[in-house]
Amino acid sequence: MIQVDDLAKSYGRVVAVDGLSLRVEEGSIMGLIGPNGAGKTTAIKIILGLLKPDRGVVRVFDEEPWDNPDIKPKIGVIYERAYFPSRHKVFDYLKRVCRIFGEPESRAREVLALTRLEDAHDRTIKALSAGMLQKFAVAHALIKEPRLIIADEPTSNLDPEARRELLDLILQLHRDENVTFLISSHVLPELSRVCESVAIINKGKVWAVGSLTELSEKLGTRTTRISTDNPEALGELVRKLEYVNRVEVDSRGVSVGVLAGEDERLYEDVPRLAKEAEAKIVGIETGTASLEELFRLAVKSTQGEKS
Amino acid sequence: MGKGRPFLEIFTYALDEDYRFPLLEIFAFLFALGTFVFANLGTYGQTGEALAYNLVSTLCGFPLLFIFVVLILKNVAYGLGSDLDTGVMQTLFSYPLKRRHILTAKLLSGLGIALLLFLGIQIFGLFLLAPNVILTYPSTVFLTYAAQLCSPALLLAGLVLLVTLRLKRGGLAVIIGVVLLFAGLVVSGLVTSIAYGTGSDLSLKIWAVINPNSALQRYYMGAVGFASETWVPSFSEVLLYLGAGYLIVAALFVVGYVYFERRLEI
Repeated sequence: MIQVDDLAKSYGRVVAVDGLSLRVEEGSIMGLIGPNGAGKTTAIKIILGLLKPDRGVVRVFDEEPWDNPDIKPKIGVIYERAYFPSRHKVFDYLKRVCRIFGEPESRAREVLALTRLEDAHDRTIKALSAGMLQKFAVAHALIKEPRLIIADEPTSNLDPEARRELLDLILQLHRDENVTFLISSHVLPELSRVCESVAIINKGKVWAVGSLTELSEKLGTRTTRISTDNPEALGELVRKLEYVNRVEVDSRGVSVGVLAGEDERLYEDVPRLAKEAEAKIVGIETGTASLEELFRLAVKSTQGEKS
Repeated sequence: MGKGRPFLEIFTYALDEDYRFPLLEIFAFLFALGTFVFANLGTYGQTGEALAYNLVSTLCGFPLLFIFVVLILKNVAYGLGSDLDTGVMQTLFSYPLKRRHILTAKLLSGLGIALLLFLGIQIFGLFLLAPNVILTYPSTVFLTYAAQLCSPALLLAGLVLLVTLRLKRGGLAVIIGVVLLFAGLVVSGLVTSIAYGTGSDLSLKIWAVINPNSALQRYYMGAVGFASETWVPSFSEVLLYLGAGYLIVAALFVVGYVYFERRLEI
C-alpha cells in the first residue's frame, strides 16, 4: 500500500531523511517512532505528496503521491496540529467536504457521531478546544471512508479518555473495515496497544522495523525481570556482566536487557549473584522488550554512531 | 467523481474567505463612490478619443485603482499566504483536485471576482455618466481599461503571487506588494525626468513595456509639461507595448502556476 525506497530529503544543509525505506502492507497498522528531528514528519509529508524527495521512490496505492488527485479519496490524514479554515462551522465544513468527495451529506452526521462531536455541530472551528479540534480532524479524515489513514501524532492534544476513544476507533476501523494505518507518535504505550509493527526512525533512516517480538529478537533486547528484596545490590552486580546491555533498578526488582541468546547465561548467573548480594530472589521471567526500551536503544545506538 | 464539484467547492470556500461580510459590500461601495466622485467629464477642452481616454483614466485612476490593488493584495497575498502559512493549504491538498485547479479557484475568487466587481461598477457608471463616450469610442474605452489594469494592478498581482508562494507568509507579501506599488509610482516620475535630462527616449520606452498606460497616455494626450519635447508613440507602438505588458503579466502567472504545481512544498 505504501512503498518507500531509499528516500532522501534535505533542507539546505540539514539532512532530514537519508536513505529511508519502508513498506506498509494493506490491512496493517504500522507505527512510526523516533526522537524529535528523526525525520518522521518529513517522511510522512513526502508520502502525502506535500514534499518532493531529493532522491528515492515513493508509491502510494502504486502511484506517485505528488499532485495526484486520484489517490486522495483513499487517504485520510490526521496532522498533529489540525489545519482548517477557522471561521467555518463544524457541520457546515464537514458537509462541504462531503460534497467535495461526492459523499452524501448524511456522512457528516455519521462522522460527528463516530468521533462524539455531535455537541459541537454548530460551533465554529476556531471555538473548538485543542482536543475537540483533533477529533474534528479525525472526523474530517473519515468522511471519504479512506482505505489508508496517515496520522502524525494524532493523540498529542487529547486527554486520556479521548486518547483511549481514538485508539479504540482506530482498532474498530481496522477490524471492521480493514483500514490500514501509518501512525507516528511519541506516546509509545499507545502505539504498542494498536500497532502490529513498528518502524524506528532515527537520523533520517529506518533503524529497525518489525513487530515488537521480532524487534526484540532482532535487536537482542529481551528483558528479564528479576524480583528481589535487595534490588540495589543485585543491580550493581548484574551491571558488571558483559552480555548485559541495560539494567534498571526499582524498589521491587531489577529489569535486565540481555543480548540475543544470552537469557540462559543470565539464568545461570543470577543465583550466584544473588548469593553474593545477599538478595532473596522472589521470581524471574523473560519477555519482549517494551517499545520504550527499543526506542531508547535506537537513540543510544545512533548517539554512539555520532561519537 | 467529477472534478467540477470539488473545484466549485474550493472556489466557494475561497469566495467565503476573500469576501467575508462586510468586505465585499465595503469595496463595492468604494468602487461605486469613487466612480462617481472622480469622474471628470469633458475637462481640459478635449474632444473625441482623447476625451474618452481622459474620462476613463480619471474614472479608474489612482484612488480607485489603489482600492482595487489593496483588494487584490488582500486576496492574493494575504488570502493565499495565510492558507500556506497556517497550513490550510495542506488540507486543501488532501482534496481530489490538481494543484493548478486549487490555485485557479483561489485566483478566480481573489482576482477574477475583484476584477469583475471593479469593471462592472466602472462600466455601469460610465454608461450612466457618459453613454455617448462608451458607444462612440468603445475601442478607446477598452484600450484604456486594458492599459490601466495591466500595470500596476495585474502586474502587481503576478509579482505578489510569486512573492507569496516563495515566502509562504501572507502579511509580509502584502507589505512587499504595497512597497512595490509605491516604488512603481516613484519610478514613473523618475523616468520622465531621466528622459528630459538625458534627451533620450529610452527610459520612457522601457517604462512603457512595464506600464503600457504611459505609452497610451502619451499617444492620446501627447507629451505634456516640461517634458513636452519627449517621445510620443504611434498607435501600433502603443499596441506593441500593451502586448508586451500583458506578456510580462502572463509570464508571471505562468511561473506562479508552474511553481505551485511542481515545486511548492508545504
